[in-house]
Amino acid sequence: MTRVVVSGLGVVSPYGVGAKTFWTGLATGECAIRPLTVIDTEGFRSRIGAEVPADVLPALGASRRRSRADRIALAAAREALAEAGLGTADRSRMALLVGAVGGGMLEGEEWYCEETRTGRPSPRIRALRSILPVSHAETLGSRLRLGGSRETVVMACASGAASIALGADLIRSGATPLALAGGVDAVTRICFMGFNALKLLDPEPCRPFDRGRRGMSIGEAAAFLVLEDAEHCRARGARVLGELLGAGMTTDAHHVTAPHPEGEGMIRAMSDALTAAGLSPGDIGYVNAHGTGTPQNDRVEALALVRIFGEGGVLVSSTKSLIGHTMAAAGSVEAAATLLALQHGLAPPTANLRDPDPEVPFDCVPGAARPVELGAALSNSFGFGGQNVSLVFGR
Amino acid sequence: MNGRRRVVVTGMGSVSAAGSGGSAAVASALARREPTIAPIKAFSPDGSSSRLAAEVDDALLMDLLDAADVRRLSRICRMAVAACRLAAADARLEGGARLGLAVGSEYGDFRSGAEFFNGFLRRGPTGLSPMIFPNTVMNSMAAVAAIAVGARAPSVTLNQATVAGDLAVARGAALIADGRADAVIAGGVDEIFVDVYRGLAALGALSPMGGGGPEGCRPYAVDHNGTVLGEGATFLVLEDLPTARARGATIHAEVLGSAWGGIPVAPHTAPAARRDAGRTVRRALVQARTEPASLGRCYGSGNGDPALDDWEIELLAADGIRTPESLAPLFGQHGGLGALRAAAGALSAEAGDGVSLVHGIARGGCRTAVVMGRAT
Repeated sequence: MTRVVVSGLGVVSPYGVGAKTFWTGLATGECAIRPLTVIDTEGFRSRIGAEVPADVLPALGASRRRSRADRIALAAAREALAEAGLGTADRSRMALLVGAVGGGMLEGEEWYCEETRTGRPSPRIRALRSILPVSHAETLGSRLRLGGSRETVVMACASGAASIALGADLIRSGATPLALAGGVDAVTRICFMGFNALKLLDPEPCRPFDRGRRGMSIGEAAAFLVLEDAEHCRARGARVLGELLGAGMTTDAHHVTAPHPEGEGMIRAMSDALTAAGLSPGDIGYVNAHGTGTPQNDRVEALALVRIFGEGGVLVSSTKSLIGHTMAAAGSVEAAATLLALQHGLAPPTANLRDPDPEVPFDCVPGAARPVELGAALSNSFGFGGQNVSLVFGR
Repeated sequence: MNGRRRVVVTGMGSVSAAGSGGSAAVASALARREPTIAPIKAFSPDGSSSRLAAEVDDALLMDLLDAADVRRLSRICRMAVAACRLAAADARLEGGARLGLAVGSEYGDFRSGAEFFNGFLRRGPTGLSPMIFPNTVMNSMAAVAAIAVGARAPSVTLNQATVAGDLAVARGAALIADGRADAVIAGGVDEIFVDVYRGLAALGALSPMGGGGPEGCRPYAVDHNGTVLGEGATFLVLEDLPTARARGATIHAEVLGSAWGGIPVAPHTAPAARRDAGRTVRRALVQARTEPASLGRCYGSGNGDPALDDWEIELLAADGIRTPESLAPLFGQHGGLGALRAAAGALSAEAGDGVSLVHGIARGGCRTAVVMGRAT
């Protein structure tokens, strides 16, 4: 069985640019959820979110003519490739899997608003060329000279995690020794307005697993992992950041927006990931939960975690409390957080958790990061459409 | 497939401008070869340089759905659900934890996106519909189709221009070969929506690109001048060979090989001189243990876009493959077209026409290759 390791990591997050900056933010428990500035929030129930800081955007090294999401994705992907130290020959056969939902919608919305308001054609129509999720993969493939297979995976909030799982499958099947896999999403009006309309956004920074939680906070980010055949990585003398031990992917086939009430699909995803990893639940020291902060998700995820780990059987935290729900990027951002937690022996905290919900019978690491010896950890990502992905990483 | 699980085609379901039904209906539509491209009826194309489309008959679509489907599903979701149900019925396939989905789409549900956004533009935050918002996420078609057919293994949505359907078929085969599912309903779906149609026409992406010559879909022809949009949903039931045999399924063909790649070119471009260093077709043919000279048929993604048609011809010639045949004039360009090509490849193999290559190339460099042959 081919082992898949991680040899590169790149993150652009609400803390700024770089995996190191990202980890510093998580480890110190800084909540990056603040009033939104990218879009007009007047009149909405929730007006906050976690944006990539405006002052870092000019330094991303990508043309301002590109969409905000493309720029964020390029910077994260470049960091991952640089850390992996891959040459031209390796890149020419490297697979690319991008989890995406919003595409260049932020700029597309500006075109649509302008034409609708004026009734006249707008030169902003060029934004349509990068409005689709696939635009990120085209941009990354072209700019980074990646010549392997290419996929744009749209699985709602599980997109980034699914890209990693499917990228690992490509390596295990022998199709490629290398894959750049991850996800990206920028804040968009349609996402912000949609979750507001569903009353799923907390007016205050989100409080996963808190008894008084009222919803999530949106965010934006990009994170990419260089996945590599372990033998290939060893042969070129590259540094191993961690190992992707297993991945589970399931569908609820129950409801478009609500999870299965007993977490059936979540349980299968976690169970499948553990089976693929050859581990038992007791081998997992930390779970980076999907943990959105909505009453329903957290309750059902807790049910599923109890079924796998037993009450209190594992440390659980939600990094969405720190950087918001970064949508299609969330699965890869949280995979990065899980890898870094393993590396540093530190479980990131759940911020804003002051009154733990008794229906969530786990130590959810409230407030401050916790030193812990970790051999393996699991990251959950769930999404609209009953999409469930669980990833198991080891040191 | 080099020691991996063997994948076969055991059913088809399609809703297109040429009609609807299972494998027999797809075979009939392919045999009739009646062009379905006509002046667009869904909206007035006044002011647009393009006026043609291959549209699905909404009355036909409604006949495939019950009242609850019609009430709760957007139009593109209706197509996806109808075609997936037709495919599952054609294969006599039950849902379950080992049934997955792979859905390709070029544009997703822009209609719902516009409807949702327009609510805000008209009435502010109170005009936003929580019922419409979930449709705006591109995996909504997979979400409702998974519920409709009981698919509880992975349901993967792939966004890709031009080759969305065949990419989904290739990914679906990989999901089975990799052990993530025993069966996958794989294909593509798109609908024609006025804002997308007008936007593409304004960007010069539809025939008559550049305004030269009569509007029409003429793949590989000297006077090709752009594509014509179609709509619909087509899905194949892919299945692990032993599982299919054990339940006595009708096996139309075997996916002998499949691969997809990415040629690093600038977005939206199709440079005819650029070659595929990733050797996508070669990888699929090696899996299939087939040589280019042995291919009976080649179904290409040529859709009348001159740069793309020319690039495809050059790429295939470099692989030693003759000029392909295109189905775009029959169905119009949409996310289901690649799945229709895959269906044609499977039916050709079943009919004894030899091994078929289903080939695709999109502007921006995504390339697909699926090799279909008779299951032995």
